[in-house]
Amino acid sequence: MSIAERMMNVDRRILYVILAVVVSGALFIPVNIPATPDDSSAGVYVGLSEIPQDKVLLIQSDWTLSTRGENLGHFEALLRVVMGQNRKFVLYSLADPQAPQVARDALRVLNAERKDRGLEPYILGQDYLDLGFFPNAENTAQAMGSNLRNLWANRKTKSPNGEIDIWQSPVLQGVSKIEDIGALVVVTASNTIDIAIQRLSDKVTIICMCTGVTGPTVLPYFSTGQLKGLAIGLKGVYDMELLMTYGMNDTSSGENKITNPKYGVALKLENSNTYGRGRQYYGALHGALALIILAIVLGNVAMLTAKKAEAA
Amino acid sequence: MDYAFLKVTAGAIATFALYSILFKENSFYRFFEHVFLGLAAGYSMVAIWQDTLYENWWLKMFGQPATATATEVAGYWPYALLVPIGLMGYFVFSKKNNWMSRIPIGILLGLWSGQQITNWWRTFGPQILGSMKPIIPNDFSRFTVPAQSVRDASGALTPLPPDQLEIIQNTVYPSVAISNVVFLVTLLSAMSYFIFSYEVKGKFMTGLNTVGRWMLMMGFGAIFGNTVMARFALVIDRMAYVFIEWGQQNLLRVLGGG
Repeated sequence: MSIAERMMNVDRRILYVILAVVVSGALFIPVNIPATPDDSSAGVYVGLSEIPQDKVLLIQSDWTLSTRGENLGHFEALLRVVMGQNRKFVLYSLADPQAPQVARDALRVLNAERKDRGLEPYILGQDYLDLGFFPNAENTAQAMGSNLRNLWANRKTKSPNGEIDIWQSPVLQGVSKIEDIGALVVVTASNTIDIAIQRLSDKVTIICMCTGVTGPTVLPYFSTGQLKGLAIGLKGVYDMELLMTYGMNDTSSGENKITNPKYGVALKLENSNTYGRGRQYYGALHGALALIILAIVLGNVAMLTAKKAEAA
Repeated sequence: MDYAFLKVTAGAIATFALYSILFKENSFYRFFEHVFLGLAAGYSMVAIWQDTLYENWWLKMFGQPATATATEVAGYWPYALLVPIGLMGYFVFSKKNNWMSRIPIGILLGLWSGQQITNWWRTFGPQILGSMKPIIPNDFSRFTVPAQSVRDASGALTPLPPDQLEIIQNTVYPSVAISNVVFLVTLLSAMSYFIFSYEVKGKFMTGLNTVGRWMLMMGFGAIFGNTVMARFALVIDRMAYVFIEWGQQNLLRVLGGG
């Protein structure tokens, strides 16, 4: 068997092992890969920064562990921005009954991170609300647009003062309808962003963070202004981390400043971790992509060589 | 050994088990596959009751007594009517009475259909409007869009003043016009590919059709590339879980007596 034939018949398990070694090795050496945040990712960071401080955010967490590789990074980056800016938020899910729990787990980790920095952790019922899972995303989103107060009527939450009606909590003060919300941020791995656009886009500012698989179908919404911002896949996570570190058009960042004439000034995040899974995974992603490109090139070279040898 | 370590270890073992299928079919993989399915089904049932039915249906139907921090909420009995309507759905398994299952299905379809006109416009209206781009330049003084940032004293880039930016962004330079033409050709050719109502004949239409097919293929290629990156992200996350969250942060801590 010639070298070319051996290359074409390499055991796929060897490739899996090489991939695992490359990816795992890169995880232990996080590097700052030079990158310019996409316009769409910048829209997320600047959009969040432009929301008035007294406005509450709705965070629709529609992801589970099956897309943790991308969506956990999105969710952590989002909460770091929101908590770093001391904003109140309401957490709920429309896509999967498992979604609220993974969001709670992530929130717990970020609260521990705040404690380590000497900051007050976010408190349920006081700084945020956790409304759990709502089935039937279409009709729930429709009801949110029609009558938010009625949809969430008589729901209770734990709080430092015992169990209270969610409408008595400081989080929902000044809110009676969806138009009173600062922005709806959808972290998703499915079509729930389409549902939000269809039912709520003319009532509230929508921001989306989605997986690389759904990204191309969501991008037109950003191009037409239906979305204020859109972070796609791991690049979206890394972009958010760069923006948290340097801000947008923030003069205090000096030569490292990230500039985009389409946007105003959004200050970098103080008193919070900025780098996380984005930086950790982005190098590994480059290693994996380099490996697949190499495998494709070698495979084609081997095939052409074998064909030539056969013809001769 | 503490609970946190056991929890993360269980996750790591499950990860090894599910990846073991890459080596070959084995009962270790099958066992964890069934564990996963059982857990997901069981968890979902509890979560649906706890997060959804209890909050949105049960408490609204029966009301809630007054507490030290909340006033009494009266129950609303019509919520009980949802039970027989929902149960009708199960008659889909009955040959004799399966017509009853069409009632809840009809209600859902009716609710869904009623929303579609506004939904369609909210989805595609802005996209149709956004597709109308100028293709004739209105400024020939330069070919490309001028720089919209300048270097300040520190050497960092700073955007131009807003009034100058607005002028630049509202001007159709030749390069912008060319980009818009490419967009328009892509849009029309891709749409022409989906003309199935009559036979596409003639050089222009077949040519447009072919261009459309190429454009679609390029689009699919880009989407596939994104999908590959997304799948790699999942592998990377699993490796991070096994080697960093389990190995580095938990296993070494336990072995070190931490």
